[in-house]
Amino acid sequence: MRHDRASLDQLLENPRVWRGRDAARSPDGLPSGYEALDRQLPGGGWPRRALTEILVGQYGIGELQLLMPALAQLSTEDVAVAPGWIAWVAPPFQPYPPALQQYGVDLSRMLIVRPKSDAEILWSAEQALASGTCAAVLSWPAALDDQAGRRLQLAAEKGASWAVAFRPLTARGELSAAALRVELRADGQDTELRILRSRGGRPTVIQRFFTGGREPGRT
Amino acid sequence: MARACKTPVLLRDPAPAPSAGNTGVAGRQADLFQQAPPLEITETSRYSSGLSRRRSVRRLWLCLYLPRLPLEAFGVPENGPKNGPENGQATHPSAARAVVEERQGMQRIVLPDERAAESGILPGQPANAALALLPELVLELRNPLRERQALESLAAWLERYSSFVSMAAADVLLLEIAGSLRLFGGLKPLGREIVAGLERRGFDASPAIAPTPLAATWLARGGRRACVCELENLLPALRSLPLDCLDWPPATSESLAGMGIGNVGDCLRLPRDGFAKRFGADRLLEFDRALGRLPDPRRSWRAPERFLRDYEMTEEQDDSRYLLAICRALLVSHERFLLERQLGTQRLRFTFFHLKARATRLSLGAAAERSAGRWFDLLRIRFERLVLPEPVIAIRLEGGRTQALETGTGRLAFNGRPRSGATCSMTQLAERLTARIGAEAVYRINSVADHRPRFAWRMSAALAAKTADAMPMARHERRRPLWMLPEPVLLEAEQGLPRHRGRLTLLEGPERLETGWWDEHGIARDYYTAVDPRGVRLWIFRDRRHRRTAKTAAGGNRRDSGWYLEGIFG
Repeated sequence: MRHDRASLDQLLENPRVWRGRDAARSPDGLPSGYEALDRQLPGGGWPRRALTEILVGQYGIGELQLLMPALAQLSTEDVAVAPGWIAWVAPPFQPYPPALQQYGVDLSRMLIVRPKSDAEILWSAEQALASGTCAAVLSWPAALDDQAGRRLQLAAEKGASWAVAFRPLTARGELSAAALRVELRADGQDTELRILRSRGGRPTVIQRFFTGGREPGRT
Repeated sequence: MARACKTPVLLRDPAPAPSAGNTGVAGRQADLFQQAPPLEITETSRYSSGLSRRRSVRRLWLCLYLPRLPLEAFGVPENGPKNGPENGQATHPSAARAVVEERQGMQRIVLPDERAAESGILPGQPANAALALLPELVLELRNPLRERQALESLAAWLERYSSFVSMAAADVLLLEIAGSLRLFGGLKPLGREIVAGLERRGFDASPAIAPTPLAATWLARGGRRACVCELENLLPALRSLPLDCLDWPPATSESLAGMGIGNVGDCLRLPRDGFAKRFGADRLLEFDRALGRLPDPRRSWRAPERFLRDYEMTEEQDDSRYLLAICRALLVSHERFLLERQLGTQRLRFTFFHLKARATRLSLGAAAERSAGRWFDLLRIRFERLVLPEPVIAIRLEGGRTQALETGTGRLAFNGRPRSGATCSMTQLAERLTARIGAEAVYRINSVADHRPRFAWRMSAALAAKTADAMPMARHERRRPLWMLPEPVLLEAEQGLPRHRGRLTLLEGPERLETGWWDEHGIARDYYTAVDPRGVRLWIFRDRRHRRTAKTAAGGNRRDSGWYLEGIFG
């Protein structure tokens, strides 16, 4: 009996074993600004200090809009108490400042980084995350294998920063160290949001997350 | 009141307010005139005290003569990475050293160090003779450049004691100190501090103080720790100086010696015109300057505003750890250079010299910075990937343009104090990224009040010292796309309607933007929000000018639809 107990403890000490209940209790999430989504996420929002993967088939179906309320909130936090930068590592197009301002994002906190090679993308993202000076690091890596993902996850923990990696839909079957994996699928005019994997939560589908072509209903 | 009783004359002074200051000056004088009797203020001496006060405005020169500079230049602590800050020339405690110089095709000893001198090695000896006396003697070829650098580094350091530092000769520094006495608490503390500082730096100086620069130089060369503050006392002090302290050509000194004249006092007894005829008027004028009969203006030395230092190795090196250690030492002296000036710099350039290949350059950029540690951090990031074609023989560090450091933190939004747990500041992160992937690849964005979408924003360097304040945004009624394409993309059209991966559905619009007539980038466009069959929402426009031209061209090119894709609603 004692032996069993010891081996169980040993097992639980293994960093790869993760217990759901502890995390679910912490209301530490970063509110996403979308009630329907917050309800599904453990902690009531985006996981801080962890890697979030967003899988999109193509750009322009609301993948940035999904983050905007959270980024707006992060960018207005006081630098004296919270890390300041919001880093964009290798965005596919130019983030357009007037639009960011319309969403209430403070432009003075934006840092755009455009590395030339894939290795540099990961290096920059890791540096930014681990520095402890970035509230959020959005990255668009060409490839993100399990090991690289784990490194980003560790860096996010170290720097207390929210890591977001945008991946193609083909990455769905790959191993991932991300605390949260979200998939956005546009079908005609509606966009569906699937939570593929959520640490401490369960996979769900939110249909018609963005509806119509209209200005998506932000709740 | 008690003070006034001690100096009754001040009581009678018609202007009491300035007299308070005068007592201070008088007190300082008593301190300064060590040989002079204490000042007694009586009715009659009142005027003379006023006179001497005016005299005290006159300059007082501290001369530092560095007789061992050729040797000490090799042991200047900051010249080598291995030398600690304290052990000036004690890096090879076992080996005796001497500096040699080529004279008439023969190497001769210029200056032996103490251990070499103990073995009987004398200046002027041929190098071979010295080696015969002491086979393990280390000979260093005299390096005037290094001597100059050592002297400059001393001058830069001495600038903290005086606003006027002058290099009188290759081994002589002059400081005007009358203005510094008050701040440093008098002559003695100041002199002690300077001499102690020199010793710490590994320099052995012979100081002298005199009211004229030339007299101070002569006294210092004479090795007399003389301190003459009054012009009247100068002549007696100079009289006994031997002529070789004057640094005159040997021929002059020899012919004077032949006349039985061995010191300055003898010279001064000679008739002026005869002396001028025989030895030149310049020599005579030198005496007049030394004795204060003629003005002797000096050129003030100013520390250069940019840092430049070379480190030369005796043999080629390619061990990166060794090279980095040298770079670090250079950065430390760079930091000291900037610290003395309360400055920072944004750019640094390392140059690695090779024997055959072209020099490798490495530039670093940062926000205004001087800390050696942070520069070294950036250097390491770049150095990892630097390919050196050959081993390195010398390294040069050049500092960029200097600027005043911003002392207040937290004024800029991004310059805030790092949170507890943050390993570096926000600026530091930008510096590191810039160091690795280039300055043009790391930037910040800002909006500009302009209705033309292309001109409604701009990028600025992440390391700009000052960021422009956020501009008031032009009020856009409608949503703008989060993604902007680098250039508008021409779309195909079918029956006047645009296509992009299928037919587009127009959702909103038109929003007419017709502006910019004042420059060549004027636009006249109708903007629409559209959605393509895959659900991607696009920001497209129709060029109204284009339509007009297309009409006149009667059909025109079918592919030239006038519809463009400009942005994507991310």
